[in-house]
Amino acid sequence: MLEIKDLHVKVKDKDILKGINLTVHPGELHAIMGRNGSGKSTLANAIAGQDSYEITSGDILFNGTSIVAESPEERALAGIFMSFQYPVIIPGVNNTYFLKAALNAKRKHQGKTELDAVEFLKLIREKLAVVEMDEKYLHRAVNDGFSGGEKKQNEILQMLTLEPALAILDETDSGLDIDALKIVAAGINNYRRDDRAIVIITHYQRILKYLEADYVHVLINGKIAKTGGENLAEQLEDKGYSWLDN
Amino acid sequence: MHYLEKELNELIQFWDEEPEALRALRSDAFKQYKEVGLPNRKWEGWQFTDFSALEKTSYRLASPGDLPPVPETLPTIANCNRILIINGHFQENLSVLSDKVTVQTLQHAYATNPEIFNKTVVNNSNPFHNLNTALMNSGLAIIVENNAVIDNPIHILYYTTGLTEPIMNHPLFLIVAGADSETTIIEHYAGTTNVQYWQNVVTYIKLSDNAVLNHTRIQEEDLNGNHIADTAYSLEKDAQLNAFHFASGSSLYRQNIQVNLASSGASSTVNGLCLAKDRQHLDQQIIINHLKENCSSNQLFKYILSDSSAGIFNGRVIVSEGAQKTDAQQTIRNLLLTDKALAHSSPQLEIYADDVKCSHGSTTGQLDKNAIFYMRSRGIDVRTAQLLLISGFAKEVMETITNTNIDTYIDEKLTTWLEHIGVTP
Repeated sequence: MLEIKDLHVKVKDKDILKGINLTVHPGELHAIMGRNGSGKSTLANAIAGQDSYEITSGDILFNGTSIVAESPEERALAGIFMSFQYPVIIPGVNNTYFLKAALNAKRKHQGKTELDAVEFLKLIREKLAVVEMDEKYLHRAVNDGFSGGEKKQNEILQMLTLEPALAILDETDSGLDIDALKIVAAGINNYRRDDRAIVIITHYQRILKYLEADYVHVLINGKIAKTGGENLAEQLEDKGYSWLDN
Repeated sequence: MHYLEKELNELIQFWDEEPEALRALRSDAFKQYKEVGLPNRKWEGWQFTDFSALEKTSYRLASPGDLPPVPETLPTIANCNRILIINGHFQENLSVLSDKVTVQTLQHAYATNPEIFNKTVVNNSNPFHNLNTALMNSGLAIIVENNAVIDNPIHILYYTTGLTEPIMNHPLFLIVAGADSETTIIEHYAGTTNVQYWQNVVTYIKLSDNAVLNHTRIQEEDLNGNHIADTAYSLEKDAQLNAFHFASGSSLYRQNIQVNLASSGASSTVNGLCLAKDRQHLDQQIIINHLKENCSSNQLFKYILSDSSAGIFNGRVIVSEGAQKTDAQQTIRNLLLTDKALAHSSPQLEIYADDVKCSHGSTTGQLDKNAIFYMRSRGIDVRTAQLLLISGFAKEVMETITNTNIDTYIDEKLTTWLEHIGVTP
């Protein structure tokens, strides 16, 4: 589904990613771990198409097609979703309106009829229940006045609503208390299916206790330094990252 | 500005039945205007606007000949009692008047109630105001009875259309909200024409004791229009003003707003939304005078500026010595959609009392790139994302319009305006 080939990315003239290779198949859950500044978020943003991240060489293929020249919205419509490390506040734009606009853009792209307000509300109520969010959050501006945990729940709500084929979750577990962490993990497990893939970027092993990761990758200085199974995450928890340096 | 004097002399000859006192008023006001001329960039409070365009064209006062057939479609706001003025001519037969509201032509008002003029016209430092007094040729006096509760808004539509040569109008609106009355008045300027014109409006609004007045001013003149306005509010004891100023029209717009909180317990909210594109120049100055104790004032103005337009806002809140327990807030927010659009904002506070609560602030920014990316990453295209953000910016001030029909009207204007607007990516 996702194939990253020798990817080099620059941010503000600084080389951040220095040759990433990663292949993700449908049904898989990959965890990418690493210290601050190792390039984890850069990888997520490069996949999502943030234009301040310059791809200097290499390629990103999604379902066999290169996406590096595509706009963020084209990638989203093709089925890629990124949960933001810092979800953006959009003043004055109602959360329901935003979600409905996003879902209908996708449905239109797929040649489906757009949902009207009643149909949308029925759908969104089901999704709200999964992430244990109160309906009042629908009536607020996007992420406006949301706590850190609520913002992350809102990201998962968007993922469940848009049903992407590939979800890149950028530190979705950071800053969550244990209750919020469980809710977010339940949302991810609810989303998981054989035809969908998940890449979760995280500092901590704790969310992986609630998810079954197929692969754990360690990113050091812009490269994948080691790949293993869930036990690699446990090793990192015990030993830190320094044993992998060099 | 030679043409102005000629127009004044012709007006005095043409309206030879006018009382001597009114003529004297005109002549005195013109004398005051002539002493200073039009504002220039050296004048404090006027430095960002060039009025020389008004001198380059000779405008003549609208005459009875300037009355084209009434257009079949006119701007309409649902559930209002409309007062229609076309090219300066009051269309009484096409107007719906409310019970408990007296509507008079200025001549009639002067004959029956000359003292309401005196409050508005003497010794004004604004030369446009003096020009209006000298040349006032249209407008109405609108008097709401004491205790009257008027359900349907009074919609004054001043429409300019079908011009054959450049004309000017100097309307004067005198509005008195009686004690304990409740009214909504919409003062609406619009036009479609290929010919330049100039509106020089003075509006004086008095809110008597405990009156509640919602005043919506909509300025959507044709881009061939120049719109100059002087809007003064005077609030008596416990009166409550809710004003909203929407402006999207005219190539040159300058409005002076003055709010006098003249007695204790009065409160005013004066908010506004300005939309500018092309080379439009929208300039507003607002002065809030807190003259007595226990008054409150709120201002929230937003400008959305595209293309090479300019938006100017100069706001002053003056709290007089005796005005203890004043609560005054002022916020100005500018959104620049292009690199060439320009905003000048200066919020000012002058406080001469010690027990007051005052705040002011101004921000100027562009569309948040992170918010645009966030929306795009959810499959929303750039243009839609930009428009959502711009509408979101306007929403905070749009929400302060309490009348649903007025809100709907302005919201449609905003939507239409946005459809054609350029945004630098």
